[in-house]
Amino acid sequence: MKLAYYPGCSLESTGTEYDMSTKEVFKALDIELCDLGDWNCCGSSVASSKDYLLSLALPARNLAMSEKLELDVMAPCPECYLKLWKARDAVKKDPDTLDKVNKALDGTGLELKGSIDVKHPAYVIVNELGLEKLAERVKKPLDGLKVVPYYGCVMLKPPRDEKLDSPENPTGLDRIITTLGGEVVPFASKVKCCGGGLILTNKEVMLNLTHEILKEAKDAGADCIITACPLCHLALDGRQIDVEKEYNEKIEMPILYFTQLIGLSLGIGPKKLGLDKNFISTQNLLKSLKL
Amino acid sequence: MEIETIKLKDCDPNFAKEIIGAGGKKANVCFQCGTCTAGCPTVYAMDFTPRQIMRMVNLGMREQVLQSGTIWVCASCFTCQSRCPRGVEITSVMGALKNIAIREGITPQNKKGPAFYNSFLEVAMDHGRIYEPELMLRFAGRSEKSIPGALKSLSKDIPLGMGLVKKGKMAFLPHSFRRPEQLKIIYDNIRKMEGEK
Repeated sequence: MKLAYYPGCSLESTGTEYDMSTKEVFKALDIELCDLGDWNCCGSSVASSKDYLLSLALPARNLAMSEKLELDVMAPCPECYLKLWKARDAVKKDPDTLDKVNKALDGTGLELKGSIDVKHPAYVIVNELGLEKLAERVKKPLDGLKVVPYYGCVMLKPPRDEKLDSPENPTGLDRIITTLGGEVVPFASKVKCCGGGLILTNKEVMLNLTHEILKEAKDAGADCIITACPLCHLALDGRQIDVEKEYNEKIEMPILYFTQLIGLSLGIGPKKLGLDKNFISTQNLLKSLKL
Repeated sequence: MEIETIKLKDCDPNFAKEIIGAGGKKANVCFQCGTCTAGCPTVYAMDFTPRQIMRMVNLGMREQVLQSGTIWVCASCFTCQSRCPRGVEITSVMGALKNIAIREGITPQNKKGPAFYNSFLEVAMDHGRIYEPELMLRFAGRSEKSIPGALKSLSKDIPLGMGLVKKGKMAFLPHSFRRPEQLKIIYDNIRKMEGEK
């Protein structure tokens, strides 16, 4: 399998360890990721709040670059994944929109046909590689580690493809945890918003939502939470100290990218997976796994 | 209890259509069941609930909706939109409302929402990719009234910022996008097309 790789802005900065671990895991799973080259910001949820056509044209430039490589594109950040998918869906459904987007791209040397697909790494592993293949590569089973599968919002919402996973009760990350030998913690807030989108604009609301998720995980006796989103990670991991201060509680919950957890059980070194870059220490977790 | 009268002559009958045109698909088919409000994680901090906003959009209460703090408290989590039994793209309606409010310079009491959206897009368009230090500076400058206010607001995020730098997760220089003129071409094309409407 070969895919174009769209890291997106976060994976070049606050989500460095997501970028590192995704590349390591995909290498170990023999899925080739091709550099997309001079990709641009997808516009996030911000471009659509400025101009609807701009919110399609920014991701469209990246899609057109992937088309040149004749490869489907994979985006680990759920917001990028949504925006690329949305642009692709809009031009597929409506020839007028395709025409408008191409008018917007006029002069960039790129043209969009709408011929490729947009994918998320979690579901490339679950639905395309297959969990049996993942199981074959597991070298260090997680030995009953209690893991919270936290899906966040936009990886599966708004609903895209029924075959992908359920947006209300998804199981993709659950099944990855089980395949790696971990124990899934039943988690009511698995698709509840962490407030990450308000991280700069409304800290009070953000801390409240993040606290609810951390507290549920702590009360359930989880060893860690896994996430697939750099913004959820920044809220749950980067702002965890602020949550502890605000609510006067000790939480100390390690927050891992799902790719970091997969990497550990595939026998990839913690340093290569960027586990020293997480804010909440992963040392005890690694010790309990004898790593 | 006095019931507030909504004067239809002060309403804009084309408002829902305007919202649909700005990306808020099916805004006009809401039947007021309240599923959106029931599932909204931030509704407790809103002045109007999502269901009320949908009703106000359809009544054409343009001014009240655009001045509402609700549209900026929305975390864009898409829970309402995913669950709406009528397929109203409620999160996209909120996006369209932000879009119009920004364009018309309507700012809510908490200026941080518009400040963030404007700063984010400027940085993305100037550099091709997000460059966090500049985003933070522009955001603080916009959302606070004075320079000391901006510095105070920035100082609150210094521990996280320093942590990111220490962990090698914050670059000192903008990332390596080589052709920022490409995004300018796209932006100019769109402005030209929208001017022709």
